[in-house]
Amino acid sequence: MSENYRSVFDIIGPIMIGPSSSHTAGAVAIGRVARQVLGQVPRRAIVNYYESFAQTHQGHGTDYAIAAGLLEMDPADPMVPTSREIAARTGMVIDFKEQVGPSPIGHPNTAILELIGDDRVVQVAGCSVGGGVIEVRQLVLDGMVVQPSGPLPIVIYQASVADQTSQKRGQLLVNDLEWKAPFIQQQRLVSPTSTIWVFDLKNYLRDEMRQYLVDNYPGVICLEEG
Amino acid sequence: MFKSIQKLVTAATEQELPLSEVIINQEIQSSGQSREQIFNRMKKNLATMKAAVERGTSGQGVHSATGLTGGQAVKIKAYRKNHRTLAGDAMMAAVEGAIATNEVNAAMGVICATPTAGSSGTLPGILFALRDRLNLTEEQMVRFLFTAGGMGMIIANKASIAGASGGCQAEVGSASAMGAAAAVEVAGGTPQQSAHALAIAMSNLLGLVCDPLAGLVEVPCVNRNATGAGNALIAADLALAGCTSVVPADEVIEAMDKIGRQMPVELRETGLGGLADTPTGQQIKLKIFGKELES
Repeated sequence: MSENYRSVFDIIGPIMIGPSSSHTAGAVAIGRVARQVLGQVPRRAIVNYYESFAQTHQGHGTDYAIAAGLLEMDPADPMVPTSREIAARTGMVIDFKEQVGPSPIGHPNTAILELIGDDRVVQVAGCSVGGGVIEVRQLVLDGMVVQPSGPLPIVIYQASVADQTSQKRGQLLVNDLEWKAPFIQQQRLVSPTSTIWVFDLKNYLRDEMRQYLVDNYPGVICLEEG
Repeated sequence: MFKSIQKLVTAATEQELPLSEVIINQEIQSSGQSREQIFNRMKKNLATMKAAVERGTSGQGVHSATGLTGGQAVKIKAYRKNHRTLAGDAMMAAVEGAIATNEVNAAMGVICATPTAGSSGTLPGILFALRDRLNLTEEQMVRFLFTAGGMGMIIANKASIAGASGGCQAEVGSASAMGAAAAVEVAGGTPQQSAHALAIAMSNLLGLVCDPLAGLVEVPCVNRNATGAGNALIAADLALAGCTSVVPADEVIEAMDKIGRQMPVELRETGLGGLADTPTGQQIKLKIFGKELES
């Protein structure tokens, strides 16, 4: 029994442009969270498809859906089917690759995105589990690999080693979340340049909680269902 | 969050509330939003569904970019008007709404996924046919969607609603089961009868594969939604008549999950097996994409 679906609106919804909730709306969501993780406009994106995504991305509009997500479009935006042209006009280069063999993260609807921004490179491995709901099962940040349990919300906070204030905030965030937005799992990664905290939350974030995090933890990333 | 259909049915029965009310209370509690807020959100979904049906049944109807699907809903509309349909008008109204919605979806129009886009016609098909048949108010229609959504949450968490994981039984099968349960409630049935309707509807579609031609959400997806809607009305009528499912709803959902896991990958939304692998299916794939897709 999973707990991917925690609201009636995960089932009745999203309102979206067709044709597929997993291969289109879910793909928009994967693009959107990948962009959030990068935290800036991607200059270049490499999209690796596996299994069902590799076989049917053309028929299901998955390419324009991922591009729409990278452009931060809503899945119901009528411009979604034209997003690849919009991306090209803005100078965003996106390559789509059909990978052979099983998904490295164990789901038939897998897209692994490598995003290159101005001064940052990230990798986000997402899968679309049905009805537009997604999971993020692996992230590569600052060269460090982290494997969240999958279901959103996932909260990410990164503090540079040199920035003592942010380092302290990261510690505070652990206690804060324990009380205010309980998590299933917490991971802390340390690289020569930064410390990264990743939390898999138990419940969907309420509006006031999201605002509280943004106000008190500048740069915090909250990956959520659309 | 309810972990089984039986627990949800027991809660509704003990509290002497309709399933929709129990599900609405759960949503208020988990989201922290007011009843009015979540009602309004559901009304927006309802309006999207209504607009899609209207679009698919107006004028010449809608047609997909490939030309594979479209224009069927308007044919059904005219047929209903000019002929004595074999299945009866409520059934054909459901079929019309289901097909209209999925034609809009295939044409990259705006729909509400219920629970998925590929199966987005089933629920509106049932709902708008019942609106006309039972003179449902907007409040009743919104409640129908909460009941269907609450049931769908349990199915999605216990099994799957993705064709790539469980085949079409997970999509149209789930939509049909959700719709059957919700139909029973709006028709005045008990929560236990809703559970029976869900079990019957899902049992009847177990094993249904996902084999879309050229990997497009067109053939056979559009017509399968007609079947999902019709099947839901049959299952709901059976339950309302007092017929029961020998296998309880939760076990039927578990069977659906297991069958999905036993299904070969060719039959789980890869466009490689079943109808997609027929000579016609392969020909269409070549015509549309001009080449064999790399695999």
